[in-house]
Amino acid sequence: MIGIGYRKDFAETFLTGTALNPAFIEVAPENWMGIGGYWKKQFAKVLERYPLFTHGLSLSIGSPDKLDFDFLRKVKAFLKETNAVLYSEHLSYAKCDNAHLYDLLPIPFTQDAVNHVSERIRTVQDLLEQKIAIEIVSYYTPVAPELSEIQFINSILEEADCELLLDVNNVYVNGFNHHYDAAAFIEQLPMERVRYIHMAGHEKVSDTLILDTHGEAIIDPVYELFAHTLRLLDRDVPVLLERDFNIPELVELQAEMDRLNSIKESIRKEKEYAFN
Amino acid sequence: MLLTDTTQQYQSNLACYCRTGNLAAIPGIHRENIREYRRLVYNVVEDMLRSAYPLAADFLPGEEWEALVNEFFSRHACQSPQVWYMPKEFYEYLAENNHPVLAAYPVLPDLLLFEWTETELFMMEDKPVDCSPSGDLLFSKLVLNPEHLLLAFDFPVHRKNAGQISDRDRGAYYAASHRNTAGEVIFTDCSPGLVRILEYLAEKPQSVRALFDRFEQEYQVLLNEDQQEHMIHFLQNALQQQLISGFKNY
Ligand SMILES: [Fe+2]
Repeated sequence: MIGIGYRKDFAETFLTGTALNPAFIEVAPENWMGIGGYWKKQFAKVLERYPLFTHGLSLSIGSPDKLDFDFLRKVKAFLKETNAVLYSEHLSYAKCDNAHLYDLLPIPFTQDAVNHVSERIRTVQDLLEQKIAIEIVSYYTPVAPELSEIQFINSILEEADCELLLDVNNVYVNGFNHHYDAAAFIEQLPMERVRYIHMAGHEKVSDTLILDTHGEAIIDPVYELFAHTLRLLDRDVPVLLERDFNIPELVELQAEMDRLNSIKESIRKEKEYAFN
Repeated sequence: MLLTDTTQQYQSNLACYCRTGNLAAIPGIHRENIREYRRLVYNVVEDMLRSAYPLAADFLPGEEWEALVNEFFSRHACQSPQVWYMPKEFYEYLAENNHPVLAAYPVLPDLLLFEWTETELFMMEDKPVDCSPSGDLLFSKLVLNPEHLLLAFDFPVHRKNAGQISDRDRGAYYAASHRNTAGEVIFTDCSPGLVRILEYLAEKPQSVRALFDRFEQEYQVLLNEDQQEHMIHFLQNALQQQLISGFKNY
């Protein structure tokens, strides 16, 4: 199952054309809830044709601020209305000192943050009456770290008992920016918790820094890391192609989705062969 | 709260840096890369404000716009979890603080209101309307489109390019704005009298005759034939444009 992030940039061509054939679409609830008019109608048409996965932006699970229960209730209603398959969010914070920042800031890798975030994920899961998938975000600087990144992430997954959204590109970007082996990092993650995979392109802005822009095509080493991840998994996991900027012709996006699918197929065959 | 004060403080320092550019000590950070966060956050906010207020952003000198965006984001704590709604807070921030930029550019408040109205109407949740497409303009009760906003301006921002508006244009202008069934937002220039008629209709569906009666009573005037003709013509047009959604026949 390969899906695509649904964007207003290509909504019209997506609905009228045949260039893109995703198995599902993903949206941020924040961009589609509580709206009407033209976009609501477009969205309703898309929902008739594709299952919906959701990927939130503003929950701010790692924030020192209180959880916004009013917002969460709206998300819950949106998930129900749209019959969403899952709700995922970022392991980061986007609100602090009572102000939304509309970006994903890195949480300090500390034990108290592990406890805090885990408790909040559990609260959210209770309220939504479903497990949520938490995404490892790309980050450009550590913030007062006491734990390693892998310790931080694994402790939260364990304590919160939530699912993992494994963004393979993010791990690649982080491995490059923070000088570690991305494949070895993925090997240390609890594969049984992986509920959803993200794949995307990035931009290398200097010899020492990659930015997670979602504005370029996926590069070969990230495809290789994807194949490596699939070999570690014992089941089929939905995969999403993220493209937020610099949107190319839709056939090019379909070609990326096709490549993801063929990698999936070849790994599946590899495994069948190994078991037979 | 399971978070220690120290961790909270570091998180707050990072957020504060993103908003203001002032960086208080955070152990272990990468001093070069941390700038990316400030740049990213600023870009998101500037992009969003520019796309909500393209006319205002072009109307103000570049540095002034940039300074305003920076000031707004560093001083104002954005409340909306939905980024598309955040530009409303920008408009409110300037208005509530009686910001000097509004006096320096007297057209600006109207321009911001005009542009925000377009976004608000374009995005607003659908409002159900109970009416029939068939009826008689003169005798049936008219039903106003609930997806509308009535506006008053000091400058004709809905009729003229902001750059061409001068102090000589200062006056009292009114407009009705609404969303049609295709989702388009339409602005209609109105006289004060016509706005009053629309306000009557916003209260409840009424016939043309009832509207005229109420108008005549309120203003202690008798509408002559020309004036009645003019109002009927306006209502006819409003029906075509879907500012009036239809008729209530019972
Ligand atoms: Fe992602």
